[in-house]
Amino acid sequence: MADPTQKSSLAAWVWVLVACVAVFELVAHSVIRARVPSDRSWRDATTFVRERFEPTDRVVAAPHWVDPIVRSYLGDLFSLSSASVGDLAGVDRVWEVAIRGVTSRSEPPALEEPFGRVRVRMWSVVTDEVLFDFVEEIDRAEVDLLTEGSAQRCPWMHAKVQGGGLGHGPLPPPDRFVCDPARPWLWVGGTVMADLDLEPRRCVWQHPAGPEPVRAAFRDVPLGDKLVVQGGLDYNNERTAGNIAVRLRVFIDDRLAGEMRHQARDGWSRLEIDTSRLNGTAHQVRIETTAAKPHARTFCWSASTRGTRGER
Amino acid sequence: MTVRKLTWSEQLVGAALCVGYVMALVWTAPDLAMSRDESFYAHAAKDYGGWVAELTTSPSSALGREHIDRAWDYNWEHPPWMKLTFAWSWLLHQKLGLFSSESLAFRFPGMLTAGLLLWLIYSWGAVTMGRRGALFAALAFAMLPRVFYHSHLAAFDVPIAFFITFTAYAYWRTLSDGRWALLTGFAFGLALATKHNSWILPGIFLIHYLWVRRQYALADRLDRPTISWLPSMLVIGPVMLVATWPWVWHHTWSRLLAYAQFHLRHVHYTYEYLGVSYFEPPFPISVPFVMTLFTVPLTILVMALIGLVHRRAALVPPWKTRRGDATDTNADVLWLGCLAAPLLAIALPWSPIFGGTKHWITAYPFLALFAGWGFVAVIDLATGALLAERRGAAWALTALCLAPGLVETVHSHPFGLSHYTPLAGGVPGAADLGMNRQFWGFTTGSLADWLTKTLPDGGTVWTCDTTWGAWRMMQADRRLPSNIRPVRSMVDADLVLVHHEPHFNEVDFQAWMAFDDVKPVHVLTYDGVPIMSVYQNSR
Repeated sequence: MADPTQKSSLAAWVWVLVACVAVFELVAHSVIRARVPSDRSWRDATTFVRERFEPTDRVVAAPHWVDPIVRSYLGDLFSLSSASVGDLAGVDRVWEVAIRGVTSRSEPPALEEPFGRVRVRMWSVVTDEVLFDFVEEIDRAEVDLLTEGSAQRCPWMHAKVQGGGLGHGPLPPPDRFVCDPARPWLWVGGTVMADLDLEPRRCVWQHPAGPEPVRAAFRDVPLGDKLVVQGGLDYNNERTAGNIAVRLRVFIDDRLAGEMRHQARDGWSRLEIDTSRLNGTAHQVRIETTAAKPHARTFCWSASTRGTRGER
Repeated sequence: MTVRKLTWSEQLVGAALCVGYVMALVWTAPDLAMSRDESFYAHAAKDYGGWVAELTTSPSSALGREHIDRAWDYNWEHPPWMKLTFAWSWLLHQKLGLFSSESLAFRFPGMLTAGLLLWLIYSWGAVTMGRRGALFAALAFAMLPRVFYHSHLAAFDVPIAFFITFTAYAYWRTLSDGRWALLTGFAFGLALATKHNSWILPGIFLIHYLWVRRQYALADRLDRPTISWLPSMLVIGPVMLVATWPWVWHHTWSRLLAYAQFHLRHVHYTYEYLGVSYFEPPFPISVPFVMTLFTVPLTILVMALIGLVHRRAALVPPWKTRRGDATDTNADVLWLGCLAAPLLAIALPWSPIFGGTKHWITAYPFLALFAGWGFVAVIDLATGALLAERRGAAWALTALCLAPGLVETVHSHPFGLSHYTPLAGGVPGAADLGMNRQFWGFTTGSLADWLTKTLPDGGTVWTCDTTWGAWRMMQADRRLPSNIRPVRSMVDADLVLVHHEPHFNEVDFQAWMAFDDVKPVHVLTYDGVPIMSVYQNSR
């Protein structure tokens, strides 16, 4: 026979358990809502950053999903490049506007200031010096499309931009090199593309036309210790499109200096070319893209020449 | 075993639940812009309504193949029943001006099924577990935030939850009273004509029937349940599907096959789950279970779990039945089947990617019914312990158990699909975890006032995931002025809207390029989490 005392204690326990769950849920709901940063916290924190911001600074948001909020306050301090994901080359200080105890860096900050539930942190960073950013200088390039061995110049022109939408790929800039109006994807210019991880990449769209190259040549490029090239396909094609590789080749004064072979699913890839023997001199740099078949090879690259900076 | 009849007072409570819920839905509907899918169904309903009108004035031409195809070809991938009810409601509204807005005319039939579902949950609960548990179950279902959102819509998800529950109820009644067989077939026909979730019902019922039949046989009972429900479902169901769907009156087999294939080879919806955007299967098996854990109020889940434990004796396998054991038509096993099957169907690795809770929402009436049993168990256990002879304390416990659901549901509106319970850390916690933030583009409705203020002289907007049909419906409802027009090209827009989901990041970056500016002029947030960004053309 069951012990009535035992049954009674069990009953009390279930009752209390259910009541506790309900109370926990109500309290947790209220706490979560109460912890949402106020508009004033955001305003004060971002004003603090704005007052101290220098052109070589970078602002980041933590966690990443508050990035639109941070940009709504400080977006005018961002360029297309600094809003995109990339390494910190050329940056002196990183400002982080963060909530929920999240931070984007592991080392202790040089400065930390709370504003309600928003926290501002700042780090001084030692990074490479950017001597030449090919993406920002793309309008200085000479772009050619090779057809049966002969080079056809792609004119820099102001062209109509249309579209936008899911699956449409990166939007072209209004000013770009147009290689073939009959093939509207065959343009070269700076854009922002979603990579395999759906992150923004500031890059030069240079869709290969086939086995013969599309090439962008830059004169008098100051070289440093290294030339860093990164590239990838638009996320739609990076995820799904076939196994035909895009070949990106970098020439310095017509000599092959480096090569990247990029296949779908490789993700945003990096190529580092040692240019230390040419440090301090200026040369022509040419970047060529090819693919056995051009279909869906929505390739975009970024590149910069870099020098080493001393400790600060 | 015979099922007792509901008393008048019980019917009155059921009706009050129905009317009260529909009123709450009507009252809160203006806050919700039409979702993407609703805009397609409203379009279809207008086409079908036109055909229905033609049928009354000129039946011979309406029945011609060309006329049928012209009217019924749009949105052929979904069966007709709810769209027909949307059409009737809209036609009545055109004539009588019944509703305060055009969108409400389309949405009202769906809302009605939500109300009827509460009535049904209460009724089924009342005859199995008594009034207290039944009332708790119905209210628990009403206070599921995602259910509350979907109950507003001119869509099929809550309607199919109603028709599946109704068919299950009629089937269950048939087991003890063969006269219900006809109604079972009829209900199944409406379920088939509402949505393809209904296809799994005969399988669930057959397993349940064999289970119960075996129990009866082992208990040596002679009054074994009838199988008359099966021929009724297999005959009346398909006949009703075809009868209500003029699109399949010609090329019947090929079109039914096309309909089936559309869903068996369904496109995959990109869905963010625990930090990964899934573009293609396999989807993690855990999705429907974790999403249920994160979107159904914890107290209701705990109650359902207690209910399942409390009813464990009814869930023992049939082969454990002994001669002379008391047996019945075992609603618990049926409920468990109806609860588990939709979750398992989505969890299968080869299922197309359907991330939204709406795809297994048909499980939730049964979850609520078990929560009702849980409530009965808790109250029964508590009576005799601390709550003995304290009627007020029992009511306080009832209110306390329902409070989280109520508070969360109220707070979820009008961001129902963005809402997550405290177990996920709420909306910000879900953002940290990388859970889907929204779909269907309906959150644009929350920007209507801001857009109107920002473009006082009209202008153009690139609408992202909001369809032009949904946009026009906001204008027809007078939520947006007619001089704020949608445009196809971002660069031609005065404002660009971006709905935040990771796979829409591409659109965000396109907006940066379109205006050479990464600064949104406005960010719509919910509990501090960005839902939409708006970019302004300053060129």
